[in-house]
Amino acid sequence: MEMETETQKPFQVDMGNLLAFNPFHNFPSLPTSRDELVKECIQEGTKLVQAIADSIFNLPSTEDADGPLVKLPTPTTKLPREKHLPKPKPPTKWEEFAKKKGIKKRKKDKVVWDEQTGTWKRRFGYDRVNDDKDIPIIEAKMTDEPGVDPFAKRQDDKKKRVEKQEKNRLQNLKQAAKIGALPSHVQLAATALPITGTQAPPKKVTKDELGNVAGMAATSTASGGKFDRKLPGEKPAKKQGKHRKFLPVVEGSGIGSREKEQTENVLNKLISKHSHEILNVDKAVTMYNVKKEKKARNKRNQEGKSSSATNKLKPKKQLHKKNGKKGPGSSKKGKAK
Amino acid sequence: MRPLDEKETTAVFEKIFKFTGNNLKNIVENPSHEGPDKEPGRYCFRLHKNKVYYVSDSLVKRATNVARTKLASIGTCVGRFTHGGNFHLTIECLNLLAANAKHKVWLKPTSEMSFLYANHVLKGGLGRITESIAPGDGVVVFSMSDLPLGFGVAAKSTQDCRKLDPNAIVVLHQADIGEYLRMENQHEQIIEE
Repeated sequence: MEMETETQKPFQVDMGNLLAFNPFHNFPSLPTSRDELVKECIQEGTKLVQAIADSIFNLPSTEDADGPLVKLPTPTTKLPREKHLPKPKPPTKWEEFAKKKGIKKRKKDKVVWDEQTGTWKRRFGYDRVNDDKDIPIIEAKMTDEPGVDPFAKRQDDKKKRVEKQEKNRLQNLKQAAKIGALPSHVQLAATALPITGTQAPPKKVTKDELGNVAGMAATSTASGGKFDRKLPGEKPAKKQGKHRKFLPVVEGSGIGSREKEQTENVLNKLISKHSHEILNVDKAVTMYNVKKEKKARNKRNQEGKSSSATNKLKPKKQLHKKNGKKGPGSSKKGKAK
Repeated sequence: MRPLDEKETTAVFEKIFKFTGNNLKNIVENPSHEGPDKEPGRYCFRLHKNKVYYVSDSLVKRATNVARTKLASIGTCVGRFTHGGNFHLTIECLNLLAANAKHKVWLKPTSEMSFLYANHVLKGGLGRITESIAPGDGVVVFSMSDLPLGFGVAAKSTQDCRKLDPNAIVVLHQADIGEYLRMENQHEQIIEE
């Protein structure tokens, strides 16, 4: 702490925290009103800020593009801690057991010599010693049950061990949370844990869901939220209700342009959807066949014409007509008999 | 009474399209000479109490004077929307369909009565049938003297009909003009409501 000796009233200045105090200040007479008190405080505060500014400019500075830079000394005033000291964690089940039995923790190397490959390998984790993948053969024992895959069993056992350890860990966390020995973020996770282990953990409400609920609540008044006083900074309700709006019954003279447009839209969509059905293959095939027959008949007829005498046309023409009527008539009407 | 929204329009048009094909355009763009206006107006579809009406616009205009609760019916009732949101055609739309029908079936005089009692059309009762009917198409049923009797859905295609057992169903019954007598009470009730 530095003492300002130049002024007659010395201030205590803590440069590290940019703090200044005047421990010797006395009010000559108690201020009568609050305004006066505030005024005096501001005056005194100005002096203190000035003292800080003075001492900053007394410090050795380096030039920079933005101006002189000063390195502040380490703070001397000890500020109080915001949160209370963390409570000691209760011992876990294993720690209690180990204490009872007198088991002490031993340091183990992180890497172990692997005799199979002749290299140093990690004790745990990826590419570890005695990894399940590295075991090509498991010797049969007398106790082995027939029909059980020893490799699958090994994997299964490991999975079970991991699951059991996870359960133990959560149990210990829960115990610690009960005492209140967990920091707040861990505590949140621990209290969200299922109590019995069978229940699913409660779902967190997402931001969107919260917005929807808030919007619903805001519009659940008699006026649908229209005439409610809004809070400062309140945004319009997120989830607006669906209001069906219909076209006017009569718009201008009779049917409105918007309704006409909508009808046309739907109609065009419908027609274009079914446009591929314009070509009827069955019909096309029968028409083609009929045409072909006709052509063939005409040809035959003409040949007959040229060969036969001209004055014997009449009966033949009649015959042809009869035939022609019969052919297409039967196919067109498609008599269902 | 209100115009149909887009979803409803689609439902109505799709149902009529099954019967009329592209002739649906004629129904929609049919000019109306009703009312005092000199130039012809149009017909439009209006929904009123679950029922869809085919009305000329001049009639719609005048019908707006009647309170919604008091309005029993306007124009031609084409069909109704069921509670589940499906659209069903009713017998009142028969004239509209018959004039624009794409697929037709003519009944023999002997089987007319059977159809008018809401029975399906059997192969044995079939007089004539138009070409290129596919199963599921809407079919308008006529008597041999070209009097529209009702409508239904084709159960068999035209080609299948040729070689079919006479007791097989060709057209599934949907509505017939016998309903005017059989369901007289229901129609009256609706108007009284």
